[in-house]
Amino acid sequence: MANNKKNWVIPESMWPEKNIERVRGRDGKDYLVQNDVMFTGVKHTRGEFSRFFIELCDNARILAHRCPRCRKIIVPPSEQRCPQCNFVEMVEEYVRDVGVMVATPVITAFPPSRFKEEIPFGSGYVFLETNGGGLTDQALAVRVKTTAGSIRPGIFTRGTPVKIVFCHERLGEILDVFAVPQSELTPEQIARSPLFEYSLVWTDAAKLAASDEPVFKETLERCVRLFCQLRDKISLSSRARENLKGWLRVVDIKTPGGSFQLRFYTESFVVTRNPENDVQLTFIINEPELLLNWLEDSMKGENEKLESPALTDLVLEGKIIMDKPELETINRLDRIPRSLRRDRVI
Amino acid sequence: MRDVAVIGAGMTPCRSRWLEKTQWELAQMATAEAVKDAGIHVDELDGGVVGIYNDIFEFQAIPESGLQGIIGLANKPLKRCSSGGATGAYTMLEGYTWVASGLYDLVLVLGVEKALDCYDFEAQSPTPAVVQTIGYSWDPWFERPLGHHASQSYAQVVAAYMDEHPGDLDPTVRAKIVELLCEQAQSNPYAQRLGEKVTADQVLRSPYVVYPIRKLETCVYTEGACALIFASRKMAKRIQKRTGRDPVWITGVGAANEPYFVGRDVNRFKVLHRIYSDYIAFQKALKMAKRSINDIQVMELHDAFVPQLMITLAEAGVVPLGHANDLVNEGIIMPGGRLLVNPSGGLVFGGHFVGGSNMMSTWSVMREMYSRGFERGMIHGTGASLSMFGVAMVLERRV
Repeated sequence: MANNKKNWVIPESMWPEKNIERVRGRDGKDYLVQNDVMFTGVKHTRGEFSRFFIELCDNARILAHRCPRCRKIIVPPSEQRCPQCNFVEMVEEYVRDVGVMVATPVITAFPPSRFKEEIPFGSGYVFLETNGGGLTDQALAVRVKTTAGSIRPGIFTRGTPVKIVFCHERLGEILDVFAVPQSELTPEQIARSPLFEYSLVWTDAAKLAASDEPVFKETLERCVRLFCQLRDKISLSSRARENLKGWLRVVDIKTPGGSFQLRFYTESFVVTRNPENDVQLTFIINEPELLLNWLEDSMKGENEKLESPALTDLVLEGKIIMDKPELETINRLDRIPRSLRRDRVI
Repeated sequence: MRDVAVIGAGMTPCRSRWLEKTQWELAQMATAEAVKDAGIHVDELDGGVVGIYNDIFEFQAIPESGLQGIIGLANKPLKRCSSGGATGAYTMLEGYTWVASGLYDLVLVLGVEKALDCYDFEAQSPTPAVVQTIGYSWDPWFERPLGHHASQSYAQVVAAYMDEHPGDLDPTVRAKIVELLCEQAQSNPYAQRLGEKVTADQVLRSPYVVYPIRKLETCVYTEGACALIFASRKMAKRIQKRTGRDPVWITGVGAANEPYFVGRDVNRFKVLHRIYSDYIAFQKALKMAKRSINDIQVMELHDAFVPQLMITLAEAGVVPLGHANDLVNEGIIMPGGRLLVNPSGGLVFGGHFVGGSNMMSTWSVMREMYSRGFERGMIHGTGASLSMFGVAMVLERRV
């Protein structure tokens, strides 16, 4: 299926302005640095891999190559001839869209430039089932996703049965597919082939939160108060204001003690108990004391012992569940305590 | 093959960014130091090999071309090597071959790298752009579009190893190794993180870069250069008469690269829970030197990530696979233990200027041999996706 939307390969925000600036070296002298870019447009050849990607795109099928001599089967079909059999020509064979994780997949929090908008994301390797009932000898690298919030440890491990899901809009690239755990699917979904993304039931993150419990209300109130204090400190710190510069987000924070909203705007945010409906991101925190610990740590000075992990870790460990993969708000918040300390605001 | 000696070494300080120097100047600084250390005149060199990992880091294709005259090799051979993270070690293997083959008697082995000129104008930070530049090392069809990159890739090997050996690579053990490396780096005058103090507790509280690897368990991005002078036995002995200093001999070399794609047969694919290339490289190097791992007193290993360092030590045979926690729990690499590992602070604290980091390892092992009287050491380099490139060398003071 063709995608008619016009997307630029390099977003405008990543273009460097022409400029040569003077910067101070360690020796106290001035040196020049020039904004530039290694610029080469590419019409990149898919060549012999075109068959594999066209099958993904047009027919939602996964093509492998099998060596007729040693019987090894590889997906993706990265080789046309089997090097172990002195380059015997391999033959095409379709494989099933179910398999198992080769190992526990990993979760990226600090990505390459071109993937900043996608974190946190999980990726791993899958042995797919062959039509003969075995598994492929070579593993397919895929993104791994959960239908229940953002990716986090514990959802996949070595041997987890997975289903390959096909995106609705496919371009003919490896991101046309991703893996979800079979445990999150119905038997009918597992049996359906191909299974398209639109057939999945993406769990509403809000439903993941426990209902209001009085015991958590006090923690919630303290969190709200500390966020207000944090905002006041940020106004005194140029580094902390820089951390939030240009960031516009409306974030709902849902806890068992209730909800509140952070509305980020240039260099600051507003804390409100009366959320409006323009929410762009939701954090579900079933243990609000973890957020409280982070807030208390964020007010500690240079030499005080810190108790809390970074918010990034709380996301990666599944303690903060996000309704979509967008770690930027968390990353920006995580930078603030150090900025406050460096500016000696606390 | 002829015997090969290392007769001199020169380093620049490691820095996260050298605003004051280009790669040309860094290369010349290191070469000048190495020539001086070896006690030779640059005109005596027959040629050179240079490790430069990444053209984008240098903002120039064939970046070695500009070095030719600058490092005093006008009208002499200069070959550039680029082999991912193992660029430095592979460059040394190339230099070794030039001398061992009998082709040349005195060869410059140089490694140099810029890196932090890369800049993400959107994030207003170099780091995502450096990560992206390294990410261009992944294939453009199947893995790079997924966002695969160095930390992600090594983390995948670590995660698979932990699947295979539950309980090993314990986070507290890893944190203690980081603390140890930090302490050791303080005696390396060129270390990037000289003056820093990192505790095990700080390591455990540092954020994940890629789960399950934390920020303080990773190597740093570095700009710098290191140069070595390799000599044939005849030349080494002649120069020794001039300088009065014993050379260090390369008595064993080993290298292996695993296949790119992941699978279940170690002879055909990359098996995720192993760094099999390291295993082969160490075996071959030790066999050639007619030594066992227990003969080795000091090692400078390529610690791109501390849990990977632990796997590498297990692949080297220092501990069995699955027992890497013993490195700390049994005191093997701790102060007073039977093996000194990464006295320079390694790539985590010393610095990782990719083209020359493994030369820095050699500089460090030589320094320890001269200062502590060690007779046998090893250096190692790894690199590329899933830590699939491996090179190891045995260094000895007397043959």
